[in-house]
Amino acid sequence: MSLRNIRAITRKEIQYILRTRSTFILVLLAPLALLFIMAYALTVDIESVPIAILDQDGSEASREFTAQLTDPTELDLYATVASREDLEQMLLDGSIKAGVIVEEGFEQAVAQQMGMPVHIIIDGTEPQTGHFAIDEITTQILDFTADQLAQAGLPTHLLEPVDLRVEALYNPDLEPRIDIVPGLISIVLGMPALSVALALSHEREHGTLEQLLVTPVTKAELLTGKMIPYILVGLINVVVIPAVAIWAFDIPFRGNFVLFFLLSVIFLFAILGMGTIIGVLARTQPVALALSFLVIFFPGFFLTGIFFPLVSMPEIIRAEAELLPGTQYAIITRGIFLKGLGLEILWPQAAILAALGLAFTVVAALIFKKRLG
Amino acid sequence: MNDRNANPAQARGTPDSTQETVIETDSLTRKFKKIKAVDNLDLRISHNELFGLVGPDGAGKTTLLRLLAGLLKITSGSAHVAGHDLTERPEAVKPKIGYMAQQFSLYAQLTVMENLNFFADLYAVTLEERKERTERLLSFAGLTPYTERRAEHLSGGMKKKLALACTLIHDPPILLLDEPTTGVDPVSRREFWSILTDLHVRGRTIVVSTPYMDEADRCTRVGLMYEGRMIRCAPPDEIRSQVRGELIELIAEHWQAARAAVGELPGVLQVQTYGTTLHLIVDNAAERLPEVEAHLEEERIAYSRLRPTQLRMEEAFLSLVDQREQERWE
Repeated sequence: MSLRNIRAITRKEIQYILRTRSTFILVLLAPLALLFIMAYALTVDIESVPIAILDQDGSEASREFTAQLTDPTELDLYATVASREDLEQMLLDGSIKAGVIVEEGFEQAVAQQMGMPVHIIIDGTEPQTGHFAIDEITTQILDFTADQLAQAGLPTHLLEPVDLRVEALYNPDLEPRIDIVPGLISIVLGMPALSVALALSHEREHGTLEQLLVTPVTKAELLTGKMIPYILVGLINVVVIPAVAIWAFDIPFRGNFVLFFLLSVIFLFAILGMGTIIGVLARTQPVALALSFLVIFFPGFFLTGIFFPLVSMPEIIRAEAELLPGTQYAIITRGIFLKGLGLEILWPQAAILAALGLAFTVVAALIFKKRLG
Repeated sequence: MNDRNANPAQARGTPDSTQETVIETDSLTRKFKKIKAVDNLDLRISHNELFGLVGPDGAGKTTLLRLLAGLLKITSGSAHVAGHDLTERPEAVKPKIGYMAQQFSLYAQLTVMENLNFFADLYAVTLEERKERTERLLSFAGLTPYTERRAEHLSGGMKKKLALACTLIHDPPILLLDEPTTGVDPVSRREFWSILTDLHVRGRTIVVSTPYMDEADRCTRVGLMYEGRMIRCAPPDEIRSQVRGELIELIAEHWQAARAAVGELPGVLQVQTYGTTLHLIVDNAAERLPEVEAHLEEERIAYSRLRPTQLRMEEAFLSLVDQREQERWE
């Protein structure tokens, strides 16, 4: 390995990045933009659900119940309807996401302290909104029941035989933002990997690789020199992205920044190794782009446990997921940001990332031939 | 190397076997899927030759040059460049050769100077050497005023000259140039060739492929490739003399009428048209010239020139390829 050769390639690559606007945007601005877009799009809470009510009982008790149902802002009364058909029509055209039918005999049931016949219909094509509506309606029913019991002079504690106290550590309000934003860092740091894949296939596509291959430069020098600039821009992102997460998204940072930085370098090494393999395999930039999405970004979204918990995955998929750099890094980012973990706990993740990085780089060097064909 | 000279089969096409052989191939073959782009090719190029590689598109010229540059894997046979076996030690050959690809293959975003320095770094050119060489290369490529200009903003001819300068930065003894003047204006083309001639005078060995027959004529030896094989390999004069027939040049105002009149005459093998100039390839120019003259008088076709002339490489090349194709069909 000649340092002079590595330096020559690195310098050339940095000049290329700085002078090619699309690459500059891709490596330095895209990660930031990606973080903002994804963090806002993926962490928006459901604030209110439009519902319709069909009151078949038409009694004083049912009116009191339906009034209480739509009193809080979470459930937004869109219409009071006269038939089930009307209600289903509204679900069909999307003007409501849930319907509540108070069945006949409601008042009587209330009077006799028997099960009150209430029927909820939700739009099954949007299960998340449906669940949200069910939770809200159930809470209101519980409140209503408690009021009724109190009025009848009966003890309300029977409704909740267990005094359950749930305490969420590290994210007390269970805000999705708090856990998703640190996880997203592993996806946005995939951009330098995409860039190195594009840069390598760009050389092949534009014939500059042909000229490089006739020089005495070695494969290792070429690949190392090519990776270094993208590790450097990745490091800029490693500082900028957490800063944005902390200040713009109000994410707590409880760990040690130096440790975070060092582990991020190892992650960049691993993910850039993947990018380099793609760059060596892909003959053209469109192919490199498609492969990067298939191998880096889609698994990054779906398999790294950022949105879908690893425990919910089948055994085989989970084993594969564990081998993705993003999975290990998501544990690291969440661990350092939210729990303030140190290396004594995160060392297995660090070790796996380092091993992956080494393995990917070796594979890239092995499949890279110093020939055109 | 010298023991190889003893083999007469391998000495084919070598004009002067006392000169040191710098490029040598034995049954060199490269297949792409089922197509043999280079097919059992034996070639010897001696030190300080200016070797022209010609042949129709797809004949295998680029593949041959890429094989010699170590860019493609050899399917079978062998090749030695600068004394090293390309299959065994391709990297040992790299510092000895300067290779210039057909397409522009420098960094468009880097300036002229940055490109030169980049390749100087990779070839480990020392600082003193670099200074002297860069100045010289820039001046003979006519790029001295443009050192700070990005390669993407250079004209086609300047790009080619920059590519040549980068190829020469480590002062390689052997140059492999793949159609270096294609797509370049005639003035730049002439300048480019004066640079090549200069390098040749300074003792470099040059292998250059070209689609231009006037360029082939400037080489010390020409190899005519056809379907992956070297079908002729000789100095330009010899190639021309191998062609059957001689050439009569005829310039007539009504060239269509003239063409019709002379085309059917006995002894006229082929008529090629170049604007208002007709090239008559005849079996014997001295014998046929008076006959043609008499026939044109008879037909009352006015002409401004009628004379026997030298066959150019162009006619020779076309005729040899035609001949080869006919042989193939028979």
